[in-house]
Amino acid sequence: MQVSTKWLKDYIDINLTADELADKFTLAGIPVENVIHAGEGLDKVVTGRIEELTAHPDSDHLQVCQMNIGAENLLQVVTGAPNVAEGQVVPVALIGAHLPNGQKISKGKMRGVASNGMLCSAGELKLELEGLPIEQQTGIYILPDDTPVGLPAAKVLGLDDDILEFELTANRGDCFSVIGLVRELAVLTGKTPRFPEVDVDEDDSTEAAALVKIGIDANDLCSRFSARVLTNVKLAPSPEWIVKRLEGAGMRAINNVVDATNFVMLEMGQPLHAYDFDKVIGHQLTARRAVEGEPLHTLDDTNRLAKGGELVIADAEKAAGLAGIMGGFETEITDATTTVVLEAACFNSASIRRTSRAVGIHSEASGRFERGTNVNGTVQALDRVAQLLQQMGACKVCRGVVDVYPNPKGEVKIKFTPAQINARLGTAYTDEEIIGVLNALGFDVAAAGVVDDITDEVADKISGFAKLLGSSVRKLSKTSDVEDAFSNIGETVGGMVKNAGMKISSAYEVTVPDWRNDVTIPDDLSEEVARIFGFDKIPSTLPKGNQQGHQSPRQNFIDRVKEILSGLGMCEELSFAFTGSAMFDKMRVPADSELRRAVPIMNPLTDEAPLLRTTLLASIFENAARNFSRKNEDVRLFDIAPVFLPKALPVTELPRERQQLVGLLMGRREPKGWSQSSEQVDFYDAKGIVEELLAALSINNCTVERGEHHALHPGKTAVFRKGRDVLVTVGEVHPAVAEALGIRKKIYVFEADIDTLQKFAAKKISLTPLPKYPAISRDLAVLVDHDIAAGDVERTIQKSGGQFFKGVTLFDVYTGERIPADKKSLAFAIDFRSNERTLTDAEADAAFQNILATVEKDFGATLRS
Amino acid sequence: MEQQIHELSLRAADAIKAAEDLRGLDDVRVKFLGKKGELTALLRGMSKLSAEERPIVGKLVNEARADIERLIAEKNSELKAAELQARMASETIDVTLPGRKVHAGHLHPLTLTLNRVKEIFVSMGYSVEEGPEVETDYYNFEALNLPKDHPARDMQDSFYITEEILLRTQTSPVQARTMERHHDNEPIRMIAPGRVYRRDDYDASHSPMFTQVEGLVIDKGISFADLKGTLEDFSKKIFGERTKIRLRPSFFPFTEPSAEVDVSCVMCHGEGCRVCQGTGWLEILGAGMVHPDVLRMSGYDPDEVSGFAFGMGIERIAMLTFGLDDMRLLYDNDVRFLKQF
Repeated sequence: MQVSTKWLKDYIDINLTADELADKFTLAGIPVENVIHAGEGLDKVVTGRIEELTAHPDSDHLQVCQMNIGAENLLQVVTGAPNVAEGQVVPVALIGAHLPNGQKISKGKMRGVASNGMLCSAGELKLELEGLPIEQQTGIYILPDDTPVGLPAAKVLGLDDDILEFELTANRGDCFSVIGLVRELAVLTGKTPRFPEVDVDEDDSTEAAALVKIGIDANDLCSRFSARVLTNVKLAPSPEWIVKRLEGAGMRAINNVVDATNFVMLEMGQPLHAYDFDKVIGHQLTARRAVEGEPLHTLDDTNRLAKGGELVIADAEKAAGLAGIMGGFETEITDATTTVVLEAACFNSASIRRTSRAVGIHSEASGRFERGTNVNGTVQALDRVAQLLQQMGACKVCRGVVDVYPNPKGEVKIKFTPAQINARLGTAYTDEEIIGVLNALGFDVAAAGVVDDITDEVADKISGFAKLLGSSVRKLSKTSDVEDAFSNIGETVGGMVKNAGMKISSAYEVTVPDWRNDVTIPDDLSEEVARIFGFDKIPSTLPKGNQQGHQSPRQNFIDRVKEILSGLGMCEELSFAFTGSAMFDKMRVPADSELRRAVPIMNPLTDEAPLLRTTLLASIFENAARNFSRKNEDVRLFDIAPVFLPKALPVTELPRERQQLVGLLMGRREPKGWSQSSEQVDFYDAKGIVEELLAALSINNCTVERGEHHALHPGKTAVFRKGRDVLVTVGEVHPAVAEALGIRKKIYVFEADIDTLQKFAAKKISLTPLPKYPAISRDLAVLVDHDIAAGDVERTIQKSGGQFFKGVTLFDVYTGERIPADKKSLAFAIDFRSNERTLTDAEADAAFQNILATVEKDFGATLRS
Repeated sequence: MEQQIHELSLRAADAIKAAEDLRGLDDVRVKFLGKKGELTALLRGMSKLSAEERPIVGKLVNEARADIERLIAEKNSELKAAELQARMASETIDVTLPGRKVHAGHLHPLTLTLNRVKEIFVSMGYSVEEGPEVETDYYNFEALNLPKDHPARDMQDSFYITEEILLRTQTSPVQARTMERHHDNEPIRMIAPGRVYRRDDYDASHSPMFTQVEGLVIDKGISFADLKGTLEDFSKKIFGERTKIRLRPSFFPFTEPSAEVDVSCVMCHGEGCRVCQGTGWLEILGAGMVHPDVLRMSGYDPDEVSGFAFGMGIERIAMLTFGLDDMRLLYDNDVRFLKQF
């Protein structure tokens, strides 16, 4: 909705600037999105006649104009526009102009010829391009030849009116009209509005009802259908003042009949439609549901087939328009029209919204019906159109309104107490103040006695007071209880309560004005009171009472994992939840993998990412690839986010959401520096991060085994397990995956499930006391076959270590010249210690020998000398 | 003999003086004081002396020994100091070379912002609640008083999975889920942070996925003034003590009255600048008193209790507090950006 301030001022005397009006409206809940100031940027643009046009000596497309701008001398301006000719009057921007499109005009030369201004195009002046001849859409804007020269362009172009652009909320259909806005303005400024008096002279004695039949076959979608018939219609352009008002509201003038319906729609908020009576077959109009496949030929000359169920207005043979959205092509008003049927109806908002979305037409009419119109305003709107056309001498008006209104809307009444409103707002407005606001807004307020419910707070006070006077009191909930409480001490309730400084709320009943569909409950009244007095008048308090705030254990756990990983040098990323099958292909996800059974989105943003991710690897790979492509080759990222696992496909219920953790490393092991290694990270760096994370979470004694993963290198993948549960998978990204991602580097990732990690994480740290007795350390260096896993040897050492075994650390792995080619050397440092006494060498040796013997037996190891 | 001792002392003193390093000094010590040293030899020769002479000469020898030992000790510390000086001089390094770098990790700016928001509300007694990101139409819309075909649904273009299941467009569904979990009319103070999804194009100020924090307080006697005070408190804590707030009436189907909430511009403090587009105000959240229908649908009695609710975008707050002008930076995950937080 947009409207010119002039139109508002037609109906109310206000002395506010457009910006002040915008603020007033906005702070009362009628948001003004934008103010377009009249002639902004046109200060130094005037009308000028091209007196002389000569070719530029050094250019084949520039021309030199001598402009008469009403000054003593002609003004020389060079232009590149092709559509100029001598004698034309055009807008000329003078030196110093700062045009609406941002362009600044200064003195200059164009190819050596002085130019002291600029001839302006419609675009440069930010004028509406639609409707202009094609050469003026790109070239210079041409004014009528008889336009006086030297006048401000703003005035000539009618740009002397400020425009308010509203971004109306969905509930305030009533403000979708000038009258609705003025009504608000009247309350906000205390001024009295003067709305046009609607008065129609039925000067054609024919009964409208005798000419046209109106019917409603879908009561649920059309609650009222009113019509008038106009005869002797003479189509002509509208008077200037109507054209201006329409243009100010962003609509174009077409002809007097259409313009009058649009004018009234803007003025009153009631959309109207005019039919050529002679084209309405059978002279009957019925609101009914469309039949599936029924042809719909709308006035934009588009042929559609009905889906079935849309509300249409049909004549005896066919649909003559999509009700409330767009009229029909065949019944449109043309130059030949002499008799007009005017429609003003009330349609169901939901149905209009559905159809409007389905056919992709959002018209001024549909926007109003979607928000709800005033069902009791149809006849007045018809009368107003008839009145306007009559005033123009454009028609005669038949007698009577054909009005089908099967279930007239009853009055909406709401009971409330001022105490209730004050309690909701936290304010202390008096009854008079509240009633004053409601009255001003058009609500009738009638006293409805004393409220029969009293609030707990008041009840407590009264009980306390009664007790003080020696009366025994049961719980009070009604005023009659109050009388009981005081009866046995013979006081009148009113007096007592008054003496106690308390007041029992009066109750009121309001009748909602019929243009306010949005007000139905007492809470709506509280909003009216609050917004008219101003939200800034409401005090600031804090909720009473205390509660203990907390996070869930899992939220705390996730926070902890994030802290640990950032402490380990990893950067947290955040990524979108969308993915696509191309990513699965890149990641070598097998065709039958569960990961491909992803939840599809019906209306994805892009065709490349129509699925919800089933693995976070997809996202972190994308981020690694993006960084790599930007030459950020040293990357350490992690992410914690949900993946979506459908319970069934197609989806019938909410998918499972599992919080997962994923981490990625690539690039240098140490940051680049003058004394730092340029070695690249390898599998053991990633594994080290995982081990540190698990240790920090006090998850001890995992088994680590060789693992398999479609996206990982088959020889460089490990899984951390606890029994059957996989805690973490870590490995080098499969070279084919890295290549598909466009990353010419080795990448290492790890992946874990947050709930599984949390299941095994210790709730609290268990401390090991510091040893009292010294440990004895023995080194074990053995030669084993290449394919023996160091982890297996280590586990065997742990198992065979005996009672004094305290720990083992693998400190060297060697392959090379000094040992046979098919062997590797593993060196372990093994600690023995007793908790009761100092261990003897002999005891340590015995334990060591046992370990050695087992390792030799189990792995065919030989002691390396 | 006396002459011999005197002479020996002088020679020893010269030798000590001439010693160039600790090893040379030790050679001197051995030469004079060692088991086979000259002074020791003199001492041995004392057996030839008379009983009268012996104590006198013995005393002289001991004095000479003490002198030599003192001189050696002095020379020793002198040489040591010199040697330390020399060693340190040779160890001098270029202290302007950069220190050895370590990989420092970083939490995402949205996590940092969200943590701060959570901290503020938890300290005000709010618990942190969660709900699924894929939601039913019921919880996302209907339980919030947004029946099908409600025009306000247009404000939130949704990603649908089926007709009845969608990616949540707001964290408000957690409200209804939390209310349902509570006993009838049991007081609630909660926030629900999380990712939400809207079918918006991806540009400097829109993203198809973003982060929201929803807040809900229900209790007896909760008023709009309580909402205002709470948001004022929060705004001061997150944007600074000078921050003011402004509430503009608005419309949300799930609250009545409803408000859009502005804070005074964090850059210009209300003067008007590029960030606030000259208005002095920045819109940061939507709020209102919970609509009685919403309470009723989730088992609360609007005649007994009332409540307020608010919702804010964490991206917006992060962008304001960190001075970012393009939302896409937050989802771009360029490590050069992430490492600045």
